[in-house]
Amino acid sequence: MFRIPVTLLAATATIAVMSATAVQAQEIPERIGYVVNYATHEWYQNVIKGMTDRANELGIELEVRDANQDAARQVSAAEDFMSQGVDVLIITPVNEDGVVPLLRRAAQDDIPVVLEGNPVRGMTTMVAICDYDTGYHAGVAAGEYARDNFDGQARVMNVGLPLLSATVLRSEGFMDGLRTILPEAEMVHDLDGGGNPDRALEVSSAALAQNSDINIIYGINDNSAQGGLQAWKASGRSQDGLLVVGTGGEGLGFINLMATEPAYQIEAAMFPEKVGYTTIDAAVSLFNGEEVPEHIVSPTATMIGDEWQQYYSVEGTTRSINWENVNAVPAADACMKTAADL
Amino acid sequence: MLDEARTGHAAAIDTSIPALEMVGIGKRFPGVLALENVDLRLEPGKVHALMGENGAGKSTLIKILAGVYEKDVGTIRIAGREVEIRTPRDALSQGIKVVFQEIALIPEFTVAENIFLEDYPTSGAGNIRWRKIRDDAAALFDRIGFKVNPDARTGDLPVSQQQMVEIARALASEARIVVMDEPTSSLTPTEVEMLFSVIRRLTSLGIAILYVSHKLDEIFEIADTVTVLRDGRHISTQPKTAHTSDTLIRDMIGRQIGDLFPRSRGAGTGDVVVGVSGLSTAKLADIAFEARAGEVLGVFGLMGAGRTELAKALVGYDPIRTGTITIGGSPLCPHDTRTAVSLGIGLLTEDRKTEGLMLELPVMHNMSLASLGRFANMSFLDEKRERSAVQEFVDRFRVKTPSLEQHIKNLSGGNQQKVLLARWLMRGLKVIVVDEPTRGIDVGAKSEIFALIDRLAAEGLAVIMMTSEMPELLGLSDRIMVMAEGRITATMGRDEATQEKILNAAIA
Amino acid sequence: MTETASSVAPPSRLRALTGNNEIVLIVILAVLCVLISIGAPQFYSVENVVAILRQCALVLIVASGMTMLLIAAEVDLSVGASLAFSGVVAMDVTNKTNSVLLGGLAGIAFGASVGLFNGLVVTRLRVNSLIATIATMMILQGGIYLYTREAVQNRHSIRLFTDLSTGYVGPVPVPVIIAALVFIACYVVLRHTMVGRYIYAVGANEKAARLSGLRSERLKLGVFVFTGMLVGLAGLLLASLMNTGQPTAGRGFELQVIAAVILGGTSLMGGRGTLIGTLLAVLVLKVIDNGIIILRWNQDLQMIVPGLVIIGATWLDLVRRKSDAR
Repeated sequence: MFRIPVTLLAATATIAVMSATAVQAQEIPERIGYVVNYATHEWYQNVIKGMTDRANELGIELEVRDANQDAARQVSAAEDFMSQGVDVLIITPVNEDGVVPLLRRAAQDDIPVVLEGNPVRGMTTMVAICDYDTGYHAGVAAGEYARDNFDGQARVMNVGLPLLSATVLRSEGFMDGLRTILPEAEMVHDLDGGGNPDRALEVSSAALAQNSDINIIYGINDNSAQGGLQAWKASGRSQDGLLVVGTGGEGLGFINLMATEPAYQIEAAMFPEKVGYTTIDAAVSLFNGEEVPEHIVSPTATMIGDEWQQYYSVEGTTRSINWENVNAVPAADACMKTAADL
Repeated sequence: MLDEARTGHAAAIDTSIPALEMVGIGKRFPGVLALENVDLRLEPGKVHALMGENGAGKSTLIKILAGVYEKDVGTIRIAGREVEIRTPRDALSQGIKVVFQEIALIPEFTVAENIFLEDYPTSGAGNIRWRKIRDDAAALFDRIGFKVNPDARTGDLPVSQQQMVEIARALASEARIVVMDEPTSSLTPTEVEMLFSVIRRLTSLGIAILYVSHKLDEIFEIADTVTVLRDGRHISTQPKTAHTSDTLIRDMIGRQIGDLFPRSRGAGTGDVVVGVSGLSTAKLADIAFEARAGEVLGVFGLMGAGRTELAKALVGYDPIRTGTITIGGSPLCPHDTRTAVSLGIGLLTEDRKTEGLMLELPVMHNMSLASLGRFANMSFLDEKRERSAVQEFVDRFRVKTPSLEQHIKNLSGGNQQKVLLARWLMRGLKVIVVDEPTRGIDVGAKSEIFALIDRLAAEGLAVIMMTSEMPELLGLSDRIMVMAEGRITATMGRDEATQEKILNAAIA
Repeated sequence: MTETASSVAPPSRLRALTGNNEIVLIVILAVLCVLISIGAPQFYSVENVVAILRQCALVLIVASGMTMLLIAAEVDLSVGASLAFSGVVAMDVTNKTNSVLLGGLAGIAFGASVGLFNGLVVTRLRVNSLIATIATMMILQGGIYLYTREAVQNRHSIRLFTDLSTGYVGPVPVPVIIAALVFIACYVVLRHTMVGRYIYAVGANEKAARLSGLRSERLKLGVFVFTGMLVGLAGLLLASLMNTGQPTAGRGFELQVIAAVILGGTSLMGGRGTLIGTLLAVLVLKVIDNGIIILRWNQDLQMIVPGLVIIGATWLDLVRRKSDAR
């Protein structure tokens, strides 16, 4: 469990509020509590980073607690926040059952709640990306790339994770998007890479040995894409005639890959920082009693080649986000397909 | 006195009919004829002793009586009526109670709960009446003069008291015949006296006692009649008064002591090779003695006297508190078996399975373990040389094994013991400590082991032999040291030693 | 330690079939290869064989040490977590020093120190090794996030580093050569040296070994450290193969390794086992893994089939030992 107390000088806060044009007319909550599912994970690290950035900007005191994947711990952390009287509560649910009673109690206490990532019965609003759409747009980009470079041949090895609906949606979206450009595109291998780089590498090696005509590797996260690519390299093939598409865009891994590996051309970036940013904005809207959609979509973007440089800059081993360009990415009003459609 | 209500049937016992008759009992295990045509007849109100060496068939016979084994042939009659005993439950329902040597109590339960384990009293609703269990146990202890808290956790009691609980348990319900298998093996002399008074009360109620033991003094004190078994056969049944120790031993081992213990060496002894002074450990106090090259120093003691503890301390296995041990003049670092072995002292353990044998490994690897350095060059083994050295010992000791690769677990106890002895002789020792060298070994192999021990001393080793077997103590030792409660209570030469003197010192 | 004919009575037909755990594994392996290649002829392609061998290499390196540990009646469950951590360390140090040698040594030294820690906890504090190494696994899984929250990227771009896992000597992949060398060294130590004998003796009966003058604890400590070194070596190869130091790698690796060692006929109780068995078991498990993908079967079977194979092979082994005992 860790806290990120944010105290700002009144002056900077005022400037920040003025610069935040979108919420100029709004009241700003003083304190927001966030109970994260699993703070160790890179994704949530970045979500928290985005939240902190936005909260600083608005002069909100943000406190974060980690449930560490423990539903009971999540409940007690959230109850703590409520007794302390935070103005808004943000939760990334560990599981649905734990959060439903929390929502009830928050409603009694009149504390607005924003969920991040996963929906729960009875929620007011949730901020999340669209997994299907993210895959879909990357698929379209991959289709265009294959049309221009591979004579329209698209034989895909999906390094997937069938365990989770979110990752299944990504893979489906990718293939659907790809087929809008190349209707003949085929998924030759649908693998379970466990989301881990070493397991992904292992299963990919076998699949590549069986199907030597694969020319597109899609990974449901950056680790899976990397595992697939390393298997390709380990088999001694040249990267000519291969396209690798990753998903997520967390951390430095994909940047390093895009900078050094010729085949790694497309990344479906999910901007976890932006998710955090959007969540704080949703919290402010709820605090002001505004109408918000049940699902607020946090935007994603397909980066091709060195386009990542528009959104991120890297110095040594730290990357920083370019908010101006990320905030300019348009968000859909609703997802094309969600877990409910599976 | 015993509760009349509980043992009320005793009054009805007809003393003219034998309580138990076993006629022509035979039992065969794969490869072994354990019992052949054995008869046994118990009279009500009498103590009948069953004697014999290890492997004579005593345990098999009482296990048949207890329903643990089923007999192959023969007849069993209880109070004149022929019965079949196939399960322990059958035995109980015939009024046969067996107190085994191994303690079969549940350590987590209280004493009282263990006493009534087989038959908890319940209320009408089926609830166990815990209070009654406790009260009944207390009453039972009162009656037999046994001072143990019925609420104590059984596992916390010393072994001797657990043994008494085991005995009390047999008396908790109606019994016509009580079988006791080596009941005194872990009892103190006071407790032995208490046990004997319990036995006398039981016989006065007409209960027949089958008392299994190989301790001569006990037999002469408590038994009325003695039956001796040897090699699964019935040898003799006679009133105690018709026996002397010599005749009993002769019946048990089937020859004179002199035949069993060959003596190839003279009386002369060499230099002092073991010097112990002021040795104390958790279980030993102020031990001091010497042992010389070429002698067999016999160490006798009852259970718990500290024989095994002394053996383990001598070879650096158990830590010592104070005192010094020197081997061939060099001091032994306490708690370090490696230097002990390199100084030339080794232990032939009493517990072959857990402390001696690598059961899953071949005979060759078991035998050469302590002397691998001889066959190694930069740790690489010359297996050819190793094999021929092992083969030499196998031939010399007449170890019966189909090959050197045979897993040692498949060898008989006597052959296993020979391999373990060879492990040390191959290494070349100055001193060997042998702890109960013939435990679990059949009679034939015993004399071979005795001959080997004799030869070791003749070849100039100092042999320190821990034993609780009187015949081998008297037959093999040049000098005898007696231990009791962790101390040395007497030391005597071969010529001055008598069974009585030794036992007196052991009880002191 | 192989069975010899002399320890066995006239062999029955069943006995002839199951007379030796290694023969059972060879038969299983042959049957698997034939069946898989019928369903998918690509199984025998050079590329696939190389892929299988490369995957075997990592497991075999660690399994060689684990076989020794299990024979000595100890176990190390922290090898998966230590594998990931060593890889991260190796990559990080190579980045910082621009030396594959220093990076590799750092990875191996890290693995060895984890082994030393395990060994000291087991032999000095007398904590059961199952418990001790689960605890170490937890410590390492948490500790790696203190070290780095994300994968350590390859910033040195030294060719030699990636060649460790993807290079070839002639037609043979480098990691396969490394694994073969490790295997042969372990085999010789176990079969032909005093140390090997002592490992078997301590595992078969530690009390008896001590009474025979062996320093059992020092020996066990040594085997823990040696296994740790091999984990470090495997971690280095994994980092090379992934081209990153991945803190999330190695999940479940310890089970793969232990499953292979046990399937190879090594007893959890100590004192019994062979490296040849371990080698065959690694091949069997990796062929199953590969075959399921190549045959396009449901990948959940990658867990189920090895589980069934382990039960089956252990049962056959029991049958053999029972008939031996008679």
